[in-house]
Amino acid sequence: MKKLLSVLLLVSMTASLLAACGSSKSSESTEKGAANESAGSTATKKVVAWAWDPSFNGAALKIAEELYAKENPGFELEVVDMAKTDLEQKLNTNLAAGVKEGLPDIILVNDPNIQKYVTAYPNTFADFTDKVDFKQFSQYKVDALTIDGKVYGVPFDIGVTGMFYRSDYLEEAGYKAEDLENITWDQYIEIGKVVKEKTGKYMATINPNDEALTSILLQSGGSWYITPDNKGNFVDNPVMTDTLRVYKGISDSGIAKPVTGWSEFVGSFNAGDVATVVSGVWQIASIMDAKDQSGKWKVAPIPRLNVEGAVNASNEGGSSWFVLDGSANKDLAIDFLAKTIGSSSEFYERFLNENGGVGSFIPSFSSEAYSQTSEFFGGQAIYSDFTKWSTEVPGITLGMYTQEAKDALKNELPNILNGADLTQSLANIQKLFEQQVQ
Amino acid sequence: MSSKWNKSNLMGWQFVILPSALILLFSFYPMIQSLLLSFQSGKGNVYNYVGLGNYGRLFSDPMFRQAVLNTLLYLIVQVPIMLMLGLVIAYFLNMPSLKFKGFYRTAIFLPCVTSLVSYAVLFKSIFAVDGILNRMLMSIHLIHEPVAWLMDPVWARVVIIAAITWRWTGYNMIFYLSAMQNIDPSVYEAASIDGASKTRQFFSITVPMLKPIILFTAIISTNGTLQLFDEVVNITNGGPGNSTMTISQYIYNLSFVYTPNFGYAATVSYAIVIMVAVLAFLQLKVGGEKK
Repeated sequence: MKKLLSVLLLVSMTASLLAACGSSKSSESTEKGAANESAGSTATKKVVAWAWDPSFNGAALKIAEELYAKENPGFELEVVDMAKTDLEQKLNTNLAAGVKEGLPDIILVNDPNIQKYVTAYPNTFADFTDKVDFKQFSQYKVDALTIDGKVYGVPFDIGVTGMFYRSDYLEEAGYKAEDLENITWDQYIEIGKVVKEKTGKYMATINPNDEALTSILLQSGGSWYITPDNKGNFVDNPVMTDTLRVYKGISDSGIAKPVTGWSEFVGSFNAGDVATVVSGVWQIASIMDAKDQSGKWKVAPIPRLNVEGAVNASNEGGSSWFVLDGSANKDLAIDFLAKTIGSSSEFYERFLNENGGVGSFIPSFSSEAYSQTSEFFGGQAIYSDFTKWSTEVPGITLGMYTQEAKDALKNELPNILNGADLTQSLANIQKLFEQQVQ
Repeated sequence: MSSKWNKSNLMGWQFVILPSALILLFSFYPMIQSLLLSFQSGKGNVYNYVGLGNYGRLFSDPMFRQAVLNTLLYLIVQVPIMLMLGLVIAYFLNMPSLKFKGFYRTAIFLPCVTSLVSYAVLFKSIFAVDGILNRMLMSIHLIHEPVAWLMDPVWARVVIIAAITWRWTGYNMIFYLSAMQNIDPSVYEAASIDGASKTRQFFSITVPMLKPIILFTAIISTNGTLQLFDEVVNITNGGPGNSTMTISQYIYNLSFVYTPNFGYAATVSYAIVIMVAVLAFLQLKVGGEKK
């Protein structure tokens, strides 16, 4: 009896094991079959894209899909939304493992990651050099996409920066709009001290654990954490030295409110604690969340560094669309992007009106959508100002080790703020970076 | 002797074979693969063998050294505090005279069922510059200016340690409590007849009787602390500077934040494996049964 039982058990276990294997295989093959079928029947008209914000870049794709489908009936776009970090992890692990199945045709790439991806995963992303007329885009955006003479994607949204300010606070402190045009950071700090004294409000926020401000300062001087050939750019770099001098100045002067995270940062200006916010154009949406502050905000160009060639314009963030070279619908995906996001002024007008997104497509800048005035910003034509500044942003190469360099800087930043010798600190950062990248 | 393949033996093998196969496939095979990966270096999907190069790089890597020091600090400070606290709480909760035992036990164990990320976010907001703690301290006039807890290297570490202690003390307490309930009350009875004080009983009866459990919790806590990730990423994201970064976060950065070098990341993972093994061995030597 026992023997019979044990044999039965063995047989059933083996059978279930085999069944499990068998079923997984068969389901896989049917899935593949279905995929092939659908691809066949719709004559490769369906394209899959990954994006990370359904109300921003996901929505932009939907606009593009509508525009493209008018000319190409039957075209279908599936937008898969996931969190930005999830998307990047998924892409990294898939590409590193060499698994192409399950990857989309189109993928959104954050600009600082461009060179990292293209260099770490060669022959993975499609070349757009001859597919889009890149002269129609802001040069700095195209520079970020260019690696070894090839352009690897379609420029999408930009993060051209401005200095948002509370006109009521600044007037109370005795400053008019023209006093804030084309100033230097040293003047900014002086204004901040007066604002703090007269209104009791902070001029800005500061978060030593976040590199947004240093990045904005560096790019406004036409420099970056790393050189175009991916070496550390800390030693003997006047822009870097002045950036850190300004940063320390803001921190020392007591005009900046310390914040420890993004929500605190946004909360500080929504609650009216700070007089200015130096940030990318996409910050408009968060600023406008505080409906009771309508009419009190204005925007001016950012202050400039005290170095040769520094301008009152910079960039923070932004992303671009890539197409995977190995995808089944590569040509369709390229055509779709090139005809919409790569060349349609109508797309950019709708994207601005419907989602508040600003692109780098120069022909669209003269459109009606971009010249609209904003009541929230006291009747200022903010978008036309931002686009004007976007053409002044110095083009830089973001390189592939931006994050490593930022972390090396972050490691030393507390010492710098505590008054350590800057030259020595910069040498330390350079050394740390070089040890990190090998 | 044919007893080698008798019925019960065969039966035993049948039960063992399936889990063994699964463990081999899903656990040991990836381990070997990652060991092989740890001898390679490169970016993304371009790799070549560098022999022990990655292991050499470990020793000259200041970020790795910083991460190890941070992690060891959490280990040395947090694990003893947490285990002692757990032991003391368990002792009090085990007192027969205590009322509302169920309520206290639930209350102290409750943090363990919260998700790692959500409690980390809560701690972050408590210790924010505008956070509830600063407001409380200011309203009772202990401080005049809000303290930026998470921007000071020392306080940031204190916050992390407080967070982990809050989350895991109840977990360890449950182990102690169940072990204490297995101690025969007659032992205590005999001790009190002999005139031993409560404190004496705790140190001379409870603690020695709990030794295997204390050893067990020490090993799992060590293991858990060396793999600390969620709390640090969510509360400070390694900052200020890199002063709270753990080894696990460094592995994550190497794989997903920096230009991906999965080879070197695998090497760092193996460094954790070696450290856990060494520490567990030491703890067994120091606290284990002598044979």
